[in-house]
Amino acid sequence: MSSRAAKLWRAIAWTWSPESERESSEAIVRNLWLHWFPAKITRAAMSWNYSMWLGTVSASLFLILTITGVMLMFFYVPSTERAYGSIKDLEFAVSFGRILRNQHRWAAEGMVAVVFLHMARVFFTGSYRGSRAANWLAGVVLFLTTLLLSFTGYLLPWDQLAFWAVTVGTNIAREAPFIGGTISFLLLGGNQIDQQTLLRFYVLHVFFLPALLAVLFAYHMWRVRKDGGLAAVEAIRSERTMRPKQMPASKSYSLFGLTPGTSVQVMSSTELEEADLVTSSPNLTRRIMLVFLAVLNVTLLAAIMFNAPLEGAANAAVTPNPAKAPWYFVWLQELVASTTVHVGPLIVSGGFLGGILLPGFLLGVLAIWPWLDRSPRSAEGLWFPKSRRNQNRVFGAAIVAILILIFVGVYLRGPYWKIYWPGTPRPQTPRVF
Amino acid sequence: MANPEKSYEAADFGWLVAMSFVFLALVAFALWREARPKWRPIQAKFQTTLQKYAGVEKANAFHSGIKQIWIPKIQLVDRCTTCHLGYDWGTLLPATLGEPLAPHPNLPYMDKHPFQQYGCTTCHGGQGWATTADAAHGDKDWDDPMLSAKLADRCGLTRGDLMQLRCNFCHRHDVATPGMEQINLGKKLYKARKCVVCHTVEGRGGATAPELTYYGDKDSELFDFSNVTGARTLFNWNYQHLMTPDKVSPHTSMPTYNFQPAEARALTLLLLSWRRQIFPPEYVPAPIESVPTAAAAPTAAAPTAAAPGAAAPH
Repeated sequence: MSSRAAKLWRAIAWTWSPESERESSEAIVRNLWLHWFPAKITRAAMSWNYSMWLGTVSASLFLILTITGVMLMFFYVPSTERAYGSIKDLEFAVSFGRILRNQHRWAAEGMVAVVFLHMARVFFTGSYRGSRAANWLAGVVLFLTTLLLSFTGYLLPWDQLAFWAVTVGTNIAREAPFIGGTISFLLLGGNQIDQQTLLRFYVLHVFFLPALLAVLFAYHMWRVRKDGGLAAVEAIRSERTMRPKQMPASKSYSLFGLTPGTSVQVMSSTELEEADLVTSSPNLTRRIMLVFLAVLNVTLLAAIMFNAPLEGAANAAVTPNPAKAPWYFVWLQELVASTTVHVGPLIVSGGFLGGILLPGFLLGVLAIWPWLDRSPRSAEGLWFPKSRRNQNRVFGAAIVAILILIFVGVYLRGPYWKIYWPGTPRPQTPRVF
Repeated sequence: MANPEKSYEAADFGWLVAMSFVFLALVAFALWREARPKWRPIQAKFQTTLQKYAGVEKANAFHSGIKQIWIPKIQLVDRCTTCHLGYDWGTLLPATLGEPLAPHPNLPYMDKHPFQQYGCTTCHGGQGWATTADAAHGDKDWDDPMLSAKLADRCGLTRGDLMQLRCNFCHRHDVATPGMEQINLGKKLYKARKCVVCHTVEGRGGATAPELTYYGDKDSELFDFSNVTGARTLFNWNYQHLMTPDKVSPHTSMPTYNFQPAEARALTLLLLSWRRQIFPPEYVPAPIESVPTAAAAPTAAAPTAAAPGAAAPH
């Protein structure tokens, strides 16, 4: 190989490996895209077993969704007359259109699941205590935003599945006392799903909700940094701080540090020792690349193997039997259906109890749980500690109950919302010929 | 754990390389699959066929790719011609050429229904958007199936008979249309059996029975199949209902007319053809008002003459 070719090869296949810790730190601190990471990260936070990197997976999915979503925007027309046709075009005529839509669809459904799993991880490890409570709250709002993003996107193909799933979802919202009708009217831009609804959902889906998510994401990450990294740190810290220790006067972060009740210092590197830490560059950056690439591969494989559903064009006059909400809301539909009581000729709608009261209660409890939690702080940052056993059991039971309801709603419910066990024949939908 | 960084480095780097190769493989597979759609070999075969029958020049003028007939006026995109390439090569390609390349038969009414004005699915049904045979011909997640010989056979009809249903989307105001024997028979029976006494169609008729103007749009889910034997199809429901109304719909006031099976089938076709299909004015033919047989009831014919094109219910 000539020297010129060797030079060219080095220019293409360049590698970089920091020679010193200072170089490594500067690679993080001086980089616009990386400066929100700490220069050093705890080994505990790098563990696969602790966080399972579910937050990074969620963020990766959001990035994939943003990229595929922007590409889909070049083809999609948010009009009741052309929306369905533009999806058909993507399916059949646009180069890579089908794979693009599939990837967007599966990444979206995956994001709902992964964001929820991320929240479950934070709960089970008690990682929302103290100053992290604010970030838990931000996380709850992020989860709701993810649900809304998925729900608004659900309508856009304008097929029967989309139309009636959103009908079910918005009808549940209508059951809220006093404001339900107004919320539904505002969301639909009228009393039923039509062009106004499609346009509203589209604008929410492609601009307002992603923007909200991006802002909240930035806050979420900043809080993680501010709180001294993942709560796994606390396990190390509580181990080290059996004896009280004076915090050293290290650098402060001026305005960023103004959080009531704690010091103005970034809380890492006080009790932590050198052996607990690794440099973020390249350990964290490489890991994030790895997680992103893995998520990209999984969504791409799913997009290659499975087609996103697309039924007949939306038809307000024909309700499919049964009409089901999206899977992440079908447990609410199941609750609504099973709490609807017939007393003689009277029907007591389960919409309020199953659709508003119970999920509202669950969400409320979830939001204020950090302030209700009375478990000892020593349980922070550990999986299933004994001192948190009861609340983890209750939380686990709630998840299992919701999963069972989702399973029943998605797989067992057939025509007229009757239960059809696997193997039993379901009545076939009549055809024309 | 003397050097924990090294332990991450080795494992993560290995995985990163592996994942990169997986990504490359997936992208390569996606590219490969995109480059060989199912219509590609059919178009290659068409080119050689064209060369054989029409010469090298014509064959070289053919360019591979998705073909479509796009008629914005009637919101129609028919990509059928991506595979059915011989459709308008009837003068050069032999009619014996098998599907999908066979030229469209030059039927008497083809002059009035050019491909570029009507496309394919206007008459044949099916999913014009699709570029795969299954999606284009099937009725999975598509309400308007292609009217195939198989579907016709299920109804006890020929494909030509079944397709007359779609002719009548535009020709519903004709008293009788040449080439539409099934529909013509249905229209004749509608008059002769005085359906109009109880049923209203386009504002004319009695009010004791359901309105039928857009009866063909009534969704199959809205029918009660509990008393219907055999196939759970809209066609079968209507056929059996015409043959034995009180059996399919107990307590109905519709009398049993003792139709012949062929008559019930023709009436079913007519009923299912009454759909709310909006075509631009230039697509709607002037109604053919000549009555080919003397059997037509004068009561129904009189208002047709009084207000041509507006009041005739058929």
